[in-house]
Amino acid sequence: MGLLFIRTTIVFIALLVLMRLMGKRQIGEMQPYELVVTLIIAELACIPMADPSIPLSYGLITILTVFLLHQIVCLIDLNFAKLKAVVAGVPSVVINKNGIDDTQLKKNNLDVSDLIESLRIEGYFALDAVDYALYEAEGTFSALPKKNYQALQTSLPLLLIDEGKFDEKNIALTKKTKGYYLDILKKRNCKDIKRVLAMTVDGNGKVYLQKKGVKYEVFDLGWEKTLW
Amino acid sequence: MIRTIVSIVVALGLILGVSLYELYYVNDTFAFFEEALLSLYDKAEAGLATYEDGTAVQTFWEEKKKSLQIWLPHTAIQEVDYQLYEAVGYLYVHDYKSAIPKIEVVLGMCENIPHAYTFSIENIF
Repeated sequence: MGLLFIRTTIVFIALLVLMRLMGKRQIGEMQPYELVVTLIIAELACIPMADPSIPLSYGLITILTVFLLHQIVCLIDLNFAKLKAVVAGVPSVVINKNGIDDTQLKKNNLDVSDLIESLRIEGYFALDAVDYALYEAEGTFSALPKKNYQALQTSLPLLLIDEGKFDEKNIALTKKTKGYYLDILKKRNCKDIKRVLAMTVDGNGKVYLQKKGVKYEVFDLGWEKTLW
Repeated sequence: MIRTIVSIVVALGLILGVSLYELYYVNDTFAFFEEALLSLYDKAEAGLATYEDGTAVQTFWEEKKKSLQIWLPHTAIQEVDYQLYEAVGYLYVHDYKSAIPKIEVVLGMCENIPHAYTFSIENIF
């Protein structure tokens, strides 16, 4: 039983580290340690139940060990802020007043398209519609919209450049060519597309452009009519 | 907070208590069983072991295995069963040459099974 206790503790810690390393996207709506407990308990309960050659005490001791570890992590969570950050993680601010923070995105194994998807789920279709956006420690997404955010998203923005790469499919949807957008970038002092973190355009011709390490800019292409 | 601490202490106490008891009980039971087997082995080697001697060891094992099944995988216990039954069968027909290796196998198990539950790196990983 002592061996089972040690083995369960090792697996619990290994899974917890793994969950933390995998980032927030894999977690869902639980704290990393809650997900680990859910993953382990299901297996522990089933194996001795289904296999009569394994004593039931094996299942009971390992479940008790998982309970003990869960309670210890809960105690840390409530009383030790620094350890809590290590065990449960901290929220990541992925959009701030300067635009997208790609360092935070990468830390959580996310890219710009994942961020845009999260924003859409929350009801924000334009990157400039929010002042702040963050992934909570347990993986949920929160955003603080601008005061007049609804006026900023009258048409669906399409992601044209995602971390230095053109999205051919979306460019075709805008009925313009790559050259057209490269010219726009040149006019904005951006000769190398690899320097662009994100570029979106909506049906009214409103562009959201963010170069790596620079504050985002929003400008209008002056289209005469709404294209989509 | 207090409830959490109490639950940690109780769970830790239970785990440690059960672990220590298991370690003691398994080691102790197999030590007694080994003694009985050694005595049977000596008698078989001298050609004096009877079927009754064999069944006495078997009865001791049958009694102990009921509680051992709480702590050990049942497959390990079954393995001891098979070898011991065979040894007793050979003693019934006074075939000591065949009975001795079987008793030796069970003696080996008496050493190996408790060893598999002691704290060591190879057992943890």
